[in-house]
Amino acid sequence: MATDFWASSHYKRWIVDRATLHQARLADLQYVDNPEQLDFLSIYFANLITKLGRKLQFRQRVIATATVFFRRFYLKNSYSETDPFIVIAACCYVAAKAEESPIHIKSIVQESRTVFNQEELNGRPWTTDNQKIAEMEFYLVDDLECDLIIFHPYRTLLALCKRENTPLSTSEEGEDLGIGLDTDDGPRYWGTGEGQLELPTGALQVAWSIINDTYKSQLCLLHPPHLIAIAAIYLSFIIHPPVRPDPSTIIEHESATTTPESHRQPRRSTRQANSHSSSKKFQSHNQQDPIAFLADMNMSLPLLASVSQEIISLYALWDQYKEDMAPDAARLARELSGTSPVASGSISPAKRSMSRADSLTQSYGSQYFGSLTASAGATPVTDTNETLDTASSVQEGVPGVHYVTPAFLSLLVQRMREAKLSDVTPSAQGSSSGSGSINVISGRKMAVNKRLERMQAAG
Amino acid sequence: MLDEWSSNILQHDPMRLYRAKRDLEHRTVISKYNILGFISSGTYGRVYKAQSLDDEHGTLHAIKKFKPDKEGDVVTYTGISQSAIREIALNRELSHDNVVALKEVILEDKSIYMVFDYAEHDFLQVIHHHSQTLRSPISTAVLKSLIYQLINGLIYLHSCHVLHRDLKPANILITGNGVVKIGDLGLARLIYEPLQPLFAGDKVVVTIWYRAPELLLGAKHYTKAIDCWAVGCVMAELASLRPIFKGEEAKLDSKKNVPFQRDQLLKIFEVLGTPDEKEWPSLVDMPEYHSMKRLDYFTNRLSDWCQSRLRSPQGYDLLRRLFIYDPERRLNAKDALQHKWFHEDPKPTWNAFASVSTHQIPPHRRISQDEAPSMVPIPQHASLQGAHGHMGIPFGQQSKPGSSTSLSGGGHYVQSSGTRKKARLQ
Ligand SMILES: Nc1ncnc2c1ncn2[C@@H]1O[C@H](COP(=O)(O)OP(=O)(O)OP(=O)(O)O)[C@@H](O)[C@H]1O
Repeated sequence: MATDFWASSHYKRWIVDRATLHQARLADLQYVDNPEQLDFLSIYFANLITKLGRKLQFRQRVIATATVFFRRFYLKNSYSETDPFIVIAACCYVAAKAEESPIHIKSIVQESRTVFNQEELNGRPWTTDNQKIAEMEFYLVDDLECDLIIFHPYRTLLALCKRENTPLSTSEEGEDLGIGLDTDDGPRYWGTGEGQLELPTGALQVAWSIINDTYKSQLCLLHPPHLIAIAAIYLSFIIHPPVRPDPSTIIEHESATTTPESHRQPRRSTRQANSHSSSKKFQSHNQQDPIAFLADMNMSLPLLASVSQEIISLYALWDQYKEDMAPDAARLARELSGTSPVASGSISPAKRSMSRADSLTQSYGSQYFGSLTASAGATPVTDTNETLDTASSVQEGVPGVHYVTPAFLSLLVQRMREAKLSDVTPSAQGSSSGSGSINVISGRKMAVNKRLERMQAAG
Repeated sequence: MLDEWSSNILQHDPMRLYRAKRDLEHRTVISKYNILGFISSGTYGRVYKAQSLDDEHGTLHAIKKFKPDKEGDVVTYTGISQSAIREIALNRELSHDNVVALKEVILEDKSIYMVFDYAEHDFLQVIHHHSQTLRSPISTAVLKSLIYQLINGLIYLHSCHVLHRDLKPANILITGNGVVKIGDLGLARLIYEPLQPLFAGDKVVVTIWYRAPELLLGAKHYTKAIDCWAVGCVMAELASLRPIFKGEEAKLDSKKNVPFQRDQLLKIFEVLGTPDEKEWPSLVDMPEYHSMKRLDYFTNRLSDWCQSRLRSPQGYDLLRRLFIYDPERRLNAKDALQHKWFHEDPKPTWNAFASVSTHQIPPHRRISQDEAPSMVPIPQHASLQGAHGHMGIPFGQQSKPGSSTSLSGGGHYVQSSGTRKKARLQ
């Protein structure tokens, strides 16, 4: 189970299609002016989970698990009928236990108060206590159907990529990379034909950040984690193109190995911990072709292209989202998607990446990338241009670039919840006038509301 | 502006709508199951025998109700305990003939109910039946079948990277059809890429008799080999009807230091001999190595021990390999299942009791009234006591679903929202 994704509850019960996702948001759609706002909320909530997780000193995997719990919960429930903040707190509390790094309920109460009271709450403080969190945990675990073991793309990434290249060994993520990787042997769950990939230094880091970023969207509900990992690797290649294997190296390498026809040392499925060093040594001789490696994974390239495209779309959307800390990989990958509003005179690294990607495509020919690009263009759900169009129509006539901010989203959630409440209380309908306007408008919030009105007009 | 009621809800009870919806959908334990009686109380919970009200066969189940978490002596409601989360999460993923199946989990009124398939017997019960009632050893055919199936289940757990960590006769169940079901995953852990290393120090409640020597000598990590040692202990116990290494547990001292388990090690050494560096190279690195060196010296007499009890050189060989001191060299579950002992007659069977007459099968599990009547409604029927759990109790004589005060579904939360609703209507 732990290694067999295909037998897991994650695969059997919690990978859904787009129609299901859409269905889950129908109730909320009533209370927003523009469906895109729900996608922004998706980013906003994921950011809050990360914020709270950091405060609680969670490892990246715990944060990721909490986020998946949150997404699953809202497959069955609507934002407008719940308090997403307390759901986030409960998700973090359960994730800590599910990932065997429990925290005291007092910490979650305290830290969630701190984090959520930094949000724009329209003057109302956000309060909670042990009782409320524990109660929410109970309902949450029930809604999660007690399926608490989550698979993440990180594992695939690390399984696929050599650890020698790990530049993260001292960072927070580095701990994630380091601990337990060699504690067990056993076949990797994502499939067959595995060798290990030498990812250029930097690329692994980029791939890791891209995976982090995918949690801002619904991708973890739509695709198996190994697919997301491979898409992240693919995108990281574009940013950090692999060194093309020099033909002479290959020949040299082939003559050095016993089986000339195989570039890669097939990974033994039952690798003993103590034989690790020797296999590592062997792999370090491997000069391999990363593109061939990806192509060799027995996976559908159109699917890979589609997932990659979805990630790029996420960055395009995120581009309009303004928070203090925009991750580096986000910026890079965003530029990749060619939707950056930031005009830059000098050649940005991502631009360079793009041209490199072009040359990659040329040099490797259409057998890999040809199909990739072709199918990406044909994927209807992830049409970047469409996203762009919507976004720019919103920004029409606005001097400078306008962003969606956490404050706006925080108010949006409140507005949705208020509107929902007034819908269910007949007597209150008169007093809380429909259209869900935010009543208390401070001067600072005017811009947000202007924008809100504009969005309403546009929608 | 929002009316006062609405803003009050947003401010003080934001999950009200959600809860109301959920509580409406909720089906209570007693609306789904007829609680027949109380089976046993363990470290983490109380186990009840119950019958499904939903299927026409009235399938039997064991319902484990978790004890609430305690902080000191005060019961504080701090949410779901780590061990409950663990047991639930693992059980949801596992599915194997030799692992007890979790049918569902019901979360209700601050309590967690895990509904398992019912198992009529367990290893401990079989041992008692033979030592107290029959006064004769368990036949080789039964013994071999039980061990075979136990190992088969353990292979599955280990292949899933789950360590059981608490294998002992009471936790290994057997169905009425003689199929072994490994139970009680309350201490089980996933060892695949753990975020925290599995420190042996975390609240060990495992019975010391089944504890592997490396743990007794201070090893810090749990491994699969530790479960395999326990299998050896269980096999020996089935063969001799008493624990093979029945040591006295040294308790924590006043400073809560983990004590050196001298007596337990001596019990092991008396049978297996004192280990040496030749057979166990990393022995010298064990934290308690020096304490161990001070113990009396013993030679291995396992072969003698097995002579009268296992009566098969192959049986002895399997046990010897499960009791190899060096955890790296100890037989793993996969190899154990391939052992020659299982290939010689009598061969193991899927109904472990296939070869024996009915009177040799232990009686059905006893059920009784719950001594903690606040937990689950109990049939008013006093005659139930001592009944061997035969399903002779007609439904009519049970307390009706809903008649109990203790189980009234979701009472607390529903009630509080009810009061608020009233306040609003005024
Ligand atoms: N599926 C079942 N069918 C029948 N009886 C069961 C079942 N599961 C458990 N029991 C009975 O209940 C007892 C306690 O169950 P369990 O071991 O799961 O609880 P625990 O609190 O974890 O106990 P322990 O102290 O052994 O860790 C078992 O020894 C067994 O007698």
